[in-house]
Amino acid sequence: MVTVTEAMAARREARTAGRRRVKAAPYLFVAPFVLVFAAFSAYPIFFALQLSFTNWHGAGALRVVGFANYRYLLASPDFWQSMATSGVLWLLVVPAQVLLALTIAVALRKARFRGLFSAALIAPFVTPLVAMAQVWIILFDKDFGAVNHGLTSLGLPAVGWLTTSVWAKVTVALLVLWRTTGYAVILLLAGLSTIPSDVYEAARIDGAGAWHQFWSITVPLVTRTLSFVVVIGTLTVFQLFAEPYVVTGGGPFNGTRTAGLYLYKHITNSDLGLGAANSMLLVLMVLALSVASIRLLRSREDS
Amino acid sequence: MTTRTGSTASVRLGAVGRYVLLIVAACISLAPLLWMMASAFKPGGDIIARPFSFDAGRLTLHNFRAMLETIPIGTGFRNTAIVVVIKGALTMIFCPMAGFAFAKYTFPGKRLLFGTVLTTLMLPTLVLLIPLLLEMSQLGWVSTFQALILPSAVDAFGVFWMRQVIMAIPDELLDAARVDGAGDLRIFASIVLPVIRPGLAALGVLSFINIYNDFVWPVVAVNDEQHQTLQVMLSALAQNIRSGQLGADWTSVWGQLLAASTVAAVPVLAVFIVLQRHLIKGVMAGSLKG
Repeated sequence: MVTVTEAMAARREARTAGRRRVKAAPYLFVAPFVLVFAAFSAYPIFFALQLSFTNWHGAGALRVVGFANYRYLLASPDFWQSMATSGVLWLLVVPAQVLLALTIAVALRKARFRGLFSAALIAPFVTPLVAMAQVWIILFDKDFGAVNHGLTSLGLPAVGWLTTSVWAKVTVALLVLWRTTGYAVILLLAGLSTIPSDVYEAARIDGAGAWHQFWSITVPLVTRTLSFVVVIGTLTVFQLFAEPYVVTGGGPFNGTRTAGLYLYKHITNSDLGLGAANSMLLVLMVLALSVASIRLLRSREDS
Repeated sequence: MTTRTGSTASVRLGAVGRYVLLIVAACISLAPLLWMMASAFKPGGDIIARPFSFDAGRLTLHNFRAMLETIPIGTGFRNTAIVVVIKGALTMIFCPMAGFAFAKYTFPGKRLLFGTVLTTLMLPTLVLLIPLLLEMSQLGWVSTFQALILPSAVDAFGVFWMRQVIMAIPDELLDAARVDGAGDLRIFASIVLPVIRPGLAALGVLSFINIYNDFVWPVVAVNDEQHQTLQVMLSALAQNIRSGQLGADWTSVWGQLLAASTVAAVPVLAVFIVLQRHLIKGVMAGSLKG
């Protein structure tokens, strides 16, 4: 009983001491962050929400149109085509990236010259995207590009990398994979380094082969990092803008007009109310996909 | 005995496979970069006719000269430098400040504020594009440096990360200084900042790369050439080429594109090569939030 009252007194003392110490200092320290956040994140988001219920074109008074923008978008083939294009790119990028990055990270874990390999792998992520997107245009040109030059010299047929809407998606996906897989490798390497090595030793003593170790130890133990990689990949793909903007301009035949590019079209058309509604739908989509992929991976972790 | 040698052989085979895989992956990573830089020095006709051969005797600076006549790349460099320096400085001061408050103080409203940090981390940047652009035009900031610098000057990721780093500082260290009569600001400036220098360096490298390469917001926020950053200028060049404004002479146009891309990539690659340890450490630290 005494100890309880003592503890309470000590806590009260600590609290008042804490309060005396607090004063204005922490508020001053967070003030710049709070101000920037309020002015350039919170305010615009509420503004966008409000705007999504109007048919504003950038000038004049706001006219409320209720859910008309949302109804228009959900009935618009263009909107769904942009979502489908992003979906196809997701399929082309994310599974391949997870597989590649995990394989490379496992190989890298016990390799020598780890720093050198890591640096080489992450270099594409560091290089300006716009610069590399331009190199892609040149490398993948149908008639004069180095890639087709290589293919034909091996006796393979030339591919219309940028001229057919299917291959253009592949070309954009290859750029995304090339740029971001190294980043995923480094993330996974960090995740792998948290696995104690005696877990592997125990498995080896039990006679588990390399393949078995990979599936029954490595994969379950990096599920958290894997889900992080998937979420980042999902966010990247559904916000994809610069890659198709520079490489294909959204073409050919809108074949690479991603959700991000379609959103940008509303800005250039001054359909700002519509654009705001589109952003809201995109946010819902991205959040739903992120939550779904985390759930999916976490459920594997539990079982 | 036979199984033993068999398994040693397979281990050796596994090790060889490991290095083959890593070398192939590293080559694929570096090949487009090296090809870009090497091709920028080749005569335009050779880029197309002989994309994989390099003849030291035929190297030329012609592509760079032609590119300098087509786009005011110096202005692009100047604008990017202004944005990188100011925004980078703001990030490196304000993120640790907020991180310090979240890591080492208890104050009413802390939970709510930190919740907003976490929410902002997950928010797609595209959602802000339209309302932020409208806010800029209300403020009269379209095509200004304020518009390029301020909206993401104190990013949530930096705050979160600095909080993690500062949490690792032992409280005794701060209490001792407090007993000696140091004020909050003194403690921050003369104890916290020096102790977290490695983390701060990683934040600096990551910020430099992100700000230097930033494209989506600058392309929306700036309409005039005087404020175009390097990346925006590069994409304008690519668009002019696609729309045929520079003519259909591919040999000349491609050489210019490769020269411009190389010039834009070299500074950031140089920073990367010198400071890559900090960057990789930073990316790894960032992964721990997942």
